[in-house]
Amino acid sequence: MSEGDQELRALMIRYQGGSLEAFQEIYAQVAPGVRRYLLHLAAGSEIADDLLQETFLQMHRSRAAYNPNYAVKPWVFGLARNVFLMNRRAARQRAKILEPREDLPEFPVLPEADRIGSQDEIRRGLACLSPDQVEALLLHHEWGFSFEEIAGMLGITAAAARARASRGMADLRVALTTLQRSRA
Amino acid sequence: MMDHSPKPPEALMRAIAQDLRPVRPSPQPLQLALRMVPLALLVSSVILLAIGPRHDAVTLGPLLTWGASAAQFVLAIVLVWIAAHESTPVGRLPRQVVCLATAAASLLVVFVTLLTFWTGPANVPVLPVPPRVNEMLRISPWITGFACGIGSTLAGAILILFFSRLFRNSMVTRPTVAGALYGVGAGLAINAGWRIACPFSTPWHALGAHGAAIIATVLLGALMGRYLGNRKLKIGSRLS
Repeated sequence: MSEGDQELRALMIRYQGGSLEAFQEIYAQVAPGVRRYLLHLAAGSEIADDLLQETFLQMHRSRAAYNPNYAVKPWVFGLARNVFLMNRRAARQRAKILEPREDLPEFPVLPEADRIGSQDEIRRGLACLSPDQVEALLLHHEWGFSFEEIAGMLGITAAAARARASRGMADLRVALTTLQRSRA
Repeated sequence: MMDHSPKPPEALMRAIAQDLRPVRPSPQPLQLALRMVPLALLVSSVILLAIGPRHDAVTLGPLLTWGASAAQFVLAIVLVWIAAHESTPVGRLPRQVVCLATAAASLLVVFVTLLTFWTGPANVPVLPVPPRVNEMLRISPWITGFACGIGSTLAGAILILFFSRLFRNSMVTRPTVAGALYGVGAGLAINAGWRIACPFSTPWHALGAHGAAIIATVLLGALMGRYLGNRKLKIGSRLS
């Protein structure tokens, strides 16, 4: 367990005990990553900001359901995923479709991929991959979750999470190469 | 557009500050599942306490009477454990495990039903009631079918209500699936008790009435999960 993990768990326990300062600290540490994740899920739609607030509101309502044996970050990311899915279900029920922005989605740029292409190329490359691959790839490479944590969030095996991320990275390389060749 | 600094927005802070009472951290899924054992055992044994074990329990032997029910009960708790995992945003088990456990539950019910019928094909009700009632049940076996079906479903519904109370705030990714899993667990636990008390072994009764009760409990669980899942949407009002 990393030091950051331990600190977040301790904060979560204080928050469960009724500390508002602990909540503020958790928000400060987790919210930027969760917002980027929601932006990815919502294909860059501005609804991500609303979903971010809803995620923390739901975290507050579900705070008793948190068990200190779990790492806090994946738990909050899991909540964010649930909030997104519930919102999508509700939007479907109301027959409204979340309209993505016309420009490319605001995918976070992978630190490793940064060496093999520009930010714009990487965004275009990620847009060519399947949503499952992109999600596993970003959760592992961008937000640093282990494959076991990703498996717990997505309801798949750790091996499947690893396969999705590595196939995603391989497909991204191919997509980048194709993009660069077509430009040359 | 909201401020993207890592400071929580005012509206969110106000909502949080309104309710900051201390809460107890949730136990692990296994502990939660084990906590349900006493109530599940009690609800599934009520019928046994009321009318006692079936008259041909000696013919079936302790293994097929009590052993098969114990196996069903253990599998029911395993299913509740899987459902508790499914209810945790970061603790979900792979889909294969969920499917395997559900298939094992169905196969176990069918296997135990057929084995019971093969060992002791009881189709005449011998209940501790006046002979006239037993005669009426013999002539109209559908009455027993209804009694078993509705009785087991009601008992299963009690367990579903208890499960949903424990997990109402867990933020489940797939609430219908999680609810259905609780339903399978509840249905199986109830069937473990009812099959020992029920005087009929015929497959049409055991699978028709008791099997239908399990399916009804699964549907109840799924509906409850869906209701709780959708209820969250209403709570999660936007702040701006």
